[in-house]
Amino acid sequence: MLSRVADSLYWMSRYMERTDCMLRMLKVNYASSQDVVQDFTWNSIIRIFTYLNDDEVDELAKSSRDVLSYIITSRENHNSVYNNIVKARENARSVQDNVTVELWQCLNDFYHLIREPRIERSLREGDPVSVLDTLIRHGMLYYGIVEYTMFRGVGLSFMNLGKYLERSLQSTDILDIKFSDLSYDLDKPADTAYWKYLLLSISGYALYLKSYRSGFEARNVIDQILFNVSFPRSLAYSMSLLQRNFERLRSSSNEQSFEHIQFMIGKLYSRVKYSNVHSITTIGLHQYLKEVHDELHAVGQSLNKHYFAYS
Amino acid sequence: MAMTELFEKYDTPARTWDEMYDAREVREPYHGIYEFLRTISREELGHQEELARRLFMSQGITFTVYSSGEGIEKIFPFDIIPRIITARDWQHIESGIKQRLKALNLFLKDVYSNQFILKDNIVPFEVIYSCPHYLREMQNVPVPHDIYIHIAGIDLIRDADGTLYVLEDNLRTPSGVSYMIENREVTKRIFPALIPQNKVRPVTLYPHLLLKNLMALSPRPIANPSVVLLTPGMYNSAYFEHTTLARLMGIELVEGSDLVVDNHHVFTKTTAGLQPVDVIYRRVDDNFLDPLVFNPDSVLGVSGILSAYRKGNVAIVNSPGNGVADDKAIYTYVPEMIRYYLNEEPILKNVPTYQLTNADELEYVFQNIDRMVIKRTNESGGYGMLMGHVASESEIIEYKARIREDPRQFIAQPIISLSTSPCYIDGRIQPRRVDLRPFALTGPEGIEIVPGGLTRVALREGSLVVNSSQGGGSKDTWVLSH
Repeated sequence: MLSRVADSLYWMSRYMERTDCMLRMLKVNYASSQDVVQDFTWNSIIRIFTYLNDDEVDELAKSSRDVLSYIITSRENHNSVYNNIVKARENARSVQDNVTVELWQCLNDFYHLIREPRIERSLREGDPVSVLDTLIRHGMLYYGIVEYTMFRGVGLSFMNLGKYLERSLQSTDILDIKFSDLSYDLDKPADTAYWKYLLLSISGYALYLKSYRSGFEARNVIDQILFNVSFPRSLAYSMSLLQRNFERLRSSSNEQSFEHIQFMIGKLYSRVKYSNVHSITTIGLHQYLKEVHDELHAVGQSLNKHYFAYS
Repeated sequence: MAMTELFEKYDTPARTWDEMYDAREVREPYHGIYEFLRTISREELGHQEELARRLFMSQGITFTVYSSGEGIEKIFPFDIIPRIITARDWQHIESGIKQRLKALNLFLKDVYSNQFILKDNIVPFEVIYSCPHYLREMQNVPVPHDIYIHIAGIDLIRDADGTLYVLEDNLRTPSGVSYMIENREVTKRIFPALIPQNKVRPVTLYPHLLLKNLMALSPRPIANPSVVLLTPGMYNSAYFEHTTLARLMGIELVEGSDLVVDNHHVFTKTTAGLQPVDVIYRRVDDNFLDPLVFNPDSVLGVSGILSAYRKGNVAIVNSPGNGVADDKAIYTYVPEMIRYYLNEEPILKNVPTYQLTNADELEYVFQNIDRMVIKRTNESGGYGMLMGHVASESEIIEYKARIREDPRQFIAQPIISLSTSPCYIDGRIQPRRVDLRPFALTGPEGIEIVPGGLTRVALREGSLVVNSSQGGGSKDTWVLSH
């Protein structure tokens, strides 16, 4: 596969995964902003998804509609949902001969959808949840089309690498930011609703209820988001798929490049696999998450160097 | 026949052939579509037009206009009413184009090798050596199967008496074939059942024929050679066409930066290292193909690609240097070429053309400039033209001065009154001028022309210029099987 094409597929997939994650977080946090939740603030969301400085974050956080509009439809915010979709589509556009027609049309339609003036209007004046639902559903259509139509092969493996690397990063970052709100104090009593909304925003609420019978506890929440392999957004699950998809590239890789990255992914995955909530609290949650985050980034950079460099 | 509201005020210009009407009668091949249009209301037709627009938009059959930092997607204007070519006309067109291409291909072989046609004084040496598209680098280069023109788009027009003329030969990187294919797909959606009812010949074979020809050119005798389509990239206005063709042929779409030349062999840069390339269907102009030979500032091409070609290690389609055969000054000599190489009379006529390097012809053209169109010999896309009947006094004076400075750069032709075809514009059916560009493919087994083509239409009322850069649109083109 052309390096340029692999690069585009990988990034198309990362932008779409990020888009989905952002929309779900926004939907649940919006719901939470309409509820009486202890100390609800948009600050952590804004910090995860934008590049604003502290003053700007505080200013923006005053209005839910401003937050939604800035994170969803803003052209100026480089990390807005709008700009993610533009970039996903541009990537797909340049590799149309390597994706199915259905997939290209899905992203093209998504692009035209989010450009419709009614989207911005509803966020500003109407019901934001309807907008979020529409966008989330279109994202689900993307996942379905990928699953159903994309040819099994190297291209899909690169897409999956992008998807699971992005998901690992998102889960790590969300956990980090959410616990920074609590100053990483695992014993600090938090409102039940705080955990409920966090779990809802990553579609992990139902599973949590089934897996942990002792009610809402910080340690269980960490366990689910990092180590529960039944949870599709957990770090452990995402890492296992990252590893599996990377293994599939073996026969179409340069041997040295492959072994180099295989080692990096394997080492990180082992680290996640053989950690538990108890072991990470001894080195500190923030420290652990930061190290995982940095190693995930290093994997991304090595992919860039060994697989995507072409110009 | 009773006129319906859609056909109110269908006034064809004087002394013009209308594709649908013969005086007051609807021509026989148009009966089917005419009957259909009589039964459909203005609203329904409006809906169909909107459906066509949405289909183009959703499939990304668009080009991007950049304004205030943001890209706006536009579709190329499409007129929903098909243009019809009878089986008889098509037979004439097909045999005429085949004959013409045979001669043009022999001409290219000749001017890049023995130059018999120059030595026999049929075509003057000056015309060849003053042509910027004549590539000395191509002299005596062995070209696979002696095929220079693998893909050609020949522009045809119809004069007031119904005669077809060749207006232009496009032998470099002719574009528009994806619109031939996509326009048909959209027509199937907006006018269900009409295509089978009218026994329209299909155009879907084009990508298969092209791929078959491309594979046959592989320098390595292997079953599955590596064929790529080289595009200038996403910002090219024909990018949609490049992706469509790559997808329909199942070949890789590459940009210049995806390719590298090592020891006179071309490779793609892949995730598994360098992989050899056998055949390149390039949509990059000669000038940008190889910065070592042509424009050194270009990043669209690949350094060293021409030397790999000269060594026979890679096939390039179309052959570099074809521009010398579709230069507008050389166009005049095509009928002579047909007689010289084939010993046949030309089947399709040339538009009479005046060489402005000839003092008598120059004088005649200047005397009759209000009935002339003057074109630059090396421009395409409708740029740099002077239409004598609408140009202002000062434009004419300025143009004359430029012609006197360098007459080789210009040719003149009498203004041909292009035929009109019915178009749905602003809720009414109105006549607009059209041309026709069929696409011909040449392979080791001969020349094949897919029955169809791109009908370009001048959407502005009264306009004679069909180029998309000058407000032109396109139509689906039906070649009937009986």
